[in-house]
Amino acid sequence: MSSMKYYVLQRILLAIPMFFILISVIFFVLRIMPGDPVLAMLGGKAPQEVIEAKREKLGLNKPIGEQFVIYVGNLLKGDLGKSMLTRRPVNEEIAERFPATLELTLWGFIIAVVIGIFWGSEASRNREKTVDLSARVYAIFIYSVPVFWFGMIMQLVFGVWLGWLPVSGRLEFIPGFYEKTGFLLIDTLIDGNMDAFFSAIRHLVLPAVSLGVVISSIFLRMVRGNMILTLTKDFIKAAKARGIRRGAIVYRHALKNSFVPILTVMGLQFALLLAGAVLTETTFSWPGIGTFLVKKIKDRDFISIQGTIVIFALLVISVSIIIDIINAWIDPRIRY
Amino acid sequence: MKKLFVVLLLVSIMMVMAFAKDHLIVGTTDKIRILDPADCYDYFSSNILQNTLAGPVDYEVGTANLKPWIFESWEAASNSTEYTFKVNKDAEFMNGNPIDAEVVKWNLDRSMRLDGQPAFLLTDIIESVEVLDEYTVKITLQRPFSAFVSVLGYTVAFPVDPEETPEDEFFTGIPTASGPYYVADWQRDVRIVLEENPNYFGPKPLTKTIVINFYENASTLRLALESGEIDLAYRELDPRDFLAFKEKGEFAVYEGRSPMIREIVFQCQSENLSDKTVRQALSYAVDRKAIVGDVFAGTAEPLFTLIPGGMWGHKGTMPARNLDKAKALLKEAGYSEDNPLEVDFWYTPSHYGSTEADVAQVLAEAIQETGMVNVNLKYAEWGTYVEYFLNGTMEMFLLGWFPDYLDPDNYMWPFLSEAGAKSMGAYYQNDTITDLMLQAREHSEVLDRTIDYAKIQDMLTEEVPYVPLWQGTQQCVAKPEVQGINLEPTQIFRYYILSLED
Repeated sequence: MSSMKYYVLQRILLAIPMFFILISVIFFVLRIMPGDPVLAMLGGKAPQEVIEAKREKLGLNKPIGEQFVIYVGNLLKGDLGKSMLTRRPVNEEIAERFPATLELTLWGFIIAVVIGIFWGSEASRNREKTVDLSARVYAIFIYSVPVFWFGMIMQLVFGVWLGWLPVSGRLEFIPGFYEKTGFLLIDTLIDGNMDAFFSAIRHLVLPAVSLGVVISSIFLRMVRGNMILTLTKDFIKAAKARGIRRGAIVYRHALKNSFVPILTVMGLQFALLLAGAVLTETTFSWPGIGTFLVKKIKDRDFISIQGTIVIFALLVISVSIIIDIINAWIDPRIRY
Repeated sequence: MKKLFVVLLLVSIMMVMAFAKDHLIVGTTDKIRILDPADCYDYFSSNILQNTLAGPVDYEVGTANLKPWIFESWEAASNSTEYTFKVNKDAEFMNGNPIDAEVVKWNLDRSMRLDGQPAFLLTDIIESVEVLDEYTVKITLQRPFSAFVSVLGYTVAFPVDPEETPEDEFFTGIPTASGPYYVADWQRDVRIVLEENPNYFGPKPLTKTIVINFYENASTLRLALESGEIDLAYRELDPRDFLAFKEKGEFAVYEGRSPMIREIVFQCQSENLSDKTVRQALSYAVDRKAIVGDVFAGTAEPLFTLIPGGMWGHKGTMPARNLDKAKALLKEAGYSEDNPLEVDFWYTPSHYGSTEADVAQVLAEAIQETGMVNVNLKYAEWGTYVEYFLNGTMEMFLLGWFPDYLDPDNYMWPFLSEAGAKSMGAYYQNDTITDLMLQAREHSEVLDRTIDYAKIQDMLTEEVPYVPLWQGTQQCVAKPEVQGINLEPTQIFRYYILSLED
């Protein structure tokens, strides 16, 4: 078996116990924590016998071990259960929310990567010059700004004062347009509804820019720091001595060699964002997976919380494996 | 590039203008849980059902007076357990299926059998439902209950089409309409679109399409209104934002009395609060003025009894703040500055909105001003909170009540019957009060019932299992061109009477 194949297999096998431990912890922690979900559902108005009947119906009166076996069995069948509040399958509810999060994450991430890589690289090769100083000030300032505050300022300026962009949601009401895949940019194009397409873009601008700008500060600092180190290496001096253009040295040689730690951070950040950029989603009433989970936690909807975290775990583990593989491909030393 | 940007901007502006007047957009921070009347027990789900389904009875707009809807008339003898209802022959579902006596029975039986969240409102009262003929239903009660018809005004009694509804399980989709609107599109937590139901047997809606956008928080709701994204904001703007709108005057602001009440609950069997002298002392120490003024900026109304102001039977019997009296009572109960009462006071930080922590703080300070009470503020999220108060863990805590039906009985029985008080975490029982409540349920004359409730309210001033604090107000802010906004005492928000002025 080649070293790459062996490495990939090893990473996948290691992920299985990690996933199992995670889902077990989620299951038991949710049940040990104070707060009865049935009482949260019914409030104080329902009589005791109704509460008991509800508990039985939901299987919450069974021994915890039995509940766990049922839970794992269903999970292996791909069944995340039914929400205790809406009574709908959790898979269905998550599938409804996930496209919104993915759309926001992708665009936010692209903005962050573009700002982070280009400004960070330029700052590293122009140390102590305006572009570097401004990058440092920007990174520190933006890093210390909470995304919800930044988002609100954007809403106020571009939504209320200038009136250029909508302050919330994914699409205004457009008679006759219905979602298909949940990815609005795609749905509107499939539908050939350009009004809806432009509306979707206008709605995406503020949340994606807010998210992207805030994350870009992390990427910028990472890229700048790693690039500064790389630019002092001997192979860079050699490249300069051979007369290679500065741009090519920075973007073709230095950036590639600095990329392993940068990619790891970017990948993990992307995975975290897929798990829902909660504050951004809340600020812009973006109906994604983050706001979904917050609501379910408030309602103590065990089944939905479990299901959502299982999906998060799968996402984070999958993205981590992909990053490890890319890193191993960029830098073969990692495989050994 | 610049040209493209300008074109995009113009297209967007034209789009907004094109859609501006043929529909009305409502914004809210509330959410819909389920649209099956058998399981619907939250405000906004009910709100949608009230606008898309026809119920057995309705309230006259702007009042708490019942009026016929699907039931065109009803009869019941005094002190009777038997009610006979005549079904309106014009009532039908949007698909043309009739609403007759069989449909009414099928629905009431289904709601009781499925035992959803609001089912106890029916199962606690109804003995049986019988079809007398195609358009006549007889409902027999377990015991006389003069407020029974009011219970039928709640959505748990609203019929859905048996042909489109599973008999033995709740449905999570959209019910076939029978009211002024039908649900044309529903994206959960994002938007719901209501369109005029062409087959509705009642008056036609003034606006054909109502779009309701759901927002995650009050600040986004405010911004959405300010940016013109929505025409009106209903439930729940922050009180300070509401005041800001009021002061600015650019938008029309509406305030109305809400039947929602808030109160302190005492666990009457707890070590510290089983002595009614202590409870009386605390009732003298609370500062309703500070809550209403400082926390709600005057947008709430102080309340001195469990029955809200504006409802018949209301008698404000609880005392106003009197620190000297509070101190004297605490002294009588054996407490002093050197030997203060130690009490845990609980609140839940998000279930009742962002103002709750401030309310708890204001109350704690007011009580501590006696110098004889140390209040330890504690909090828990709603799921935990309910568990704690039901098992009697919390000795003193904040709670709220939204009525299921508009009758003083719904502010008495759930609080003061033995099972009711337990479900409120008060663990209070008083035979005289129970007898008076049962007597009031049997009396069919409002005057007789008013006398019964007045006696109970007088007794509560002495017994103090609860300290009513304030009564909520409903608030709505809208563009000036929106007409027909009516914040009713029933808290029914009717979209079909809204219109946009040209």
